Amino acid sequence: MDPRTVLKKIFPYLLSSCLILGCLAIAKIIMHWLQGSFPAPLLAMLMLLTLLLTNVVKEHHLAPCAKPLLNVMPLFFIPAGVGFIEHLEIIALQWQFLSAVFILVPLTSLLLIAAVISVFKGRIEHD
Amino acid sequence: MIDLWWLSIPVIITLFLGLRKLNTTINNPLLKALTNPVFITITLIAILLVSFSLPYSQFASHSQLLSYLLEPAIVALALPLYQQFVHIRRNLLLIVGCCSLGIINATVVATLLSAAFNVPTQLAASVAALSVTTPITLLVTDSLGGIASLAAAMVIFIGLLGALFALLILRQVGIYNHQAQGVAIGTAFHAIGTAAALVEHPRIGAFASVAMALSALLTALIVPLLYPFLSQALL
Repeated sequence: MDPRTVLKKIFPYLLSSCLILGCLAIAKIIMHWLQGSFPAPLLAMLMLLTLLLTNVVKEHHLAPCAKPLLNVMPLFFIPAGVGFIEHLEIIALQWQFLSAVFILVPLTSLLLIAAVISVFKGRIEHD
Repeated sequence: MIDLWWLSIPVIITLFLGLRKLNTTINNPLLKALTNPVFITITLIAILLVSFSLPYSQFASHSQLLSYLLEPAIVALALPLYQQFVHIRRNLLLIVGCCSLGIINATVVATLLSAAFNVPTQLAASVAALSVTTPITLLVTDSLGGIASLAAAMVIFIGLLGALFALLILRQVGIYNHQAQGVAIGTAFHAIGTAAALVEHPRIGAFASVAMALSALLTALIVPLLYPFLSQALL
């Protein structure tokens, strides 16, 4: 195959991965320099979002690598998720606290948000 | 003894993709939530490791490649966040305000419960950022000095709770507005709750996914600032 055709095919992937990894690298350098505790990947996400909102980066520049990455993203947190087995003792010891958090934290947020929006938009769907 | 740890990543991928394929064939919302592929994969691997007394550290080091990929995937979240921004400009202020309120409420309630139960600070930090999708929980909890894996497991269980009961609870209290239902579910029950909302009604699902994306951003901004202040005042 003609090298130009190959390059044309892989260029969108190269550009997309460079954007993602470039933002991540810059964010890591900034956080290292600032000695801050804010997670670098989140700072990188904000940087990339700003670039998208200001039209410096277009959606199609980012999509070739971002879409497949996001499609299998749940895979990446499975190893960390399994890590709870290291803390079974804490779970057994603090089950009452964890149960209270498990029920009250989402329930209060759910009702609070729904109530506030209902004040502005009504309780019934009109559309 | 034969070293089979190299099988960690192939086992995770096969299990997850197989279960995800199976999950897409299920139409019943209750069954769909209960067979969430992330939940089942984590549970099966945890049972396997505990039953055979296999060390988690070995499993973690052999599946490290997947954990490394989490960072670029989080950066890539900018894309859906941008796509949602375009659609919510009209209601941006209200939705941002409500998502922020939900996140602040979740952190305050969790810290108050930590104070009431007098739990260790590491455990208190582990439950401070639960109103957000799992990858962001992992990062924020880690930065607060909590147990990230415990927070991730809690978030997944909370999502399942939402998928099963959120709409039922909202209807019980007389809230039928799709925007109210969607934003509340997306903020409180993130991805798993959002998936269930999408099955119920596309409009509820659309608002839920907007709220979920915004919560990821707002949690990263609010919780690292709010939690140190709350823990100093209450714990």
